[in-house]
Amino acid sequence: MDRALTLWAVIVIVGALNYLSRLSFIAFFAQRQMPPLLARALRYVPAAMLTALVLPMVVVGAPSVATLASPRVIAASVAAVVGYFTHNTLATMSVGMAVLWGLEAVLR
Amino acid sequence: MRHIAASPDFREGFTEMLPACLGLVPFGAVCGVGAAAAGADMWTALGMSMIMFSGAAQILASQLLAEGAPFAVVVLTCFVAGLRFLMYSAAMAPYLKSLPARWQNALAFLLTDQAFAASIRRFDAKHDPRGGALHFLGGGLALWGCWQVTNMIGYFAGNLIPARWSLDFAVPLCFIALVAPHLDRLPTIAAAASAAFAVFALAGLPMKLNLIAAGLCGIVVGTLVDFARERWTAR
Repeated sequence: MDRALTLWAVIVIVGALNYLSRLSFIAFFAQRQMPPLLARALRYVPAAMLTALVLPMVVVGAPSVATLASPRVIAASVAAVVGYFTHNTLATMSVGMAVLWGLEAVLR
Repeated sequence: MRHIAASPDFREGFTEMLPACLGLVPFGAVCGVGAAAAGADMWTALGMSMIMFSGAAQILASQLLAEGAPFAVVVLTCFVAGLRFLMYSAAMAPYLKSLPARWQNALAFLLTDQAFAASIRRFDAKHDPRGGALHFLGGGLALWGCWQVTNMIGYFAGNLIPARWSLDFAVPLCFIALVAPHLDRLPTIAAAASAAFAVFALAGLPMKLNLIAAGLCGIVVGTLVDFARERWTAR
């Protein structure tokens, strides 16, 4: 398939699916209780899915002593601790970036 | 329209969201860079940020397409990453029940991680569906507008930003900021830990299927641990 066409197909289909997910309980199932099992499972979507997305961006290659002692892993770990205690997006991101820049400056 | 923009609740929602918008600048920029790398022209990049309006979905779609993953895998991965919106929708539904359908349709479109967090706080603090909806609309529109601008900055200026600034690191940081505060319950920790293990253990799977598989694995483990703990404490 042509690249532009593929991109637009992804935009329209994923956009529609995302919108339907967002609208689901607000509009369609407003009168209905969510099935208890689904409600319980959905609670773990962010932690599971976002962790699966984040780690390959932070750890480059298979986990080993060499890849886990990298500036990115250390900066991400510090950011996670800051996020856990502060619940503050801006603080988490600033500290994470600052640690990464600091480590890269020292190691260069 | 003008009376909506003039209402104090709308303005409050809008201004309260501005610090979060600042945090999204690097994230949006990276999404724009990703769209450019995936071979999108300006209008396609703008379509991504305006219609998909989800950083996780945009980044995943750009990366997977740039790596030549099949269409169905791209759509499926983005859909699973977007399943968290189901949860937000269910949590938001009781507060929006009394509103007209067009308000529900508009607010659903603006439902994002950041807008959800801010609006739930507000709905819980004050029992006022109309004011809360205006607050939500203000914050949601601030995010949406800021998102288009930052995506375009990334799309056009992305190659001017020196690689040694490691701006791409803002993406995992943004997700870490969303996840970390929730890692205070055993089932959530188990969900994250098993997803972490699975994403590396299954790294050999083709077409980045390890992302979806690890996500589903984490959801199942989190749910099972939740049930097990409930039975344990019920004894």
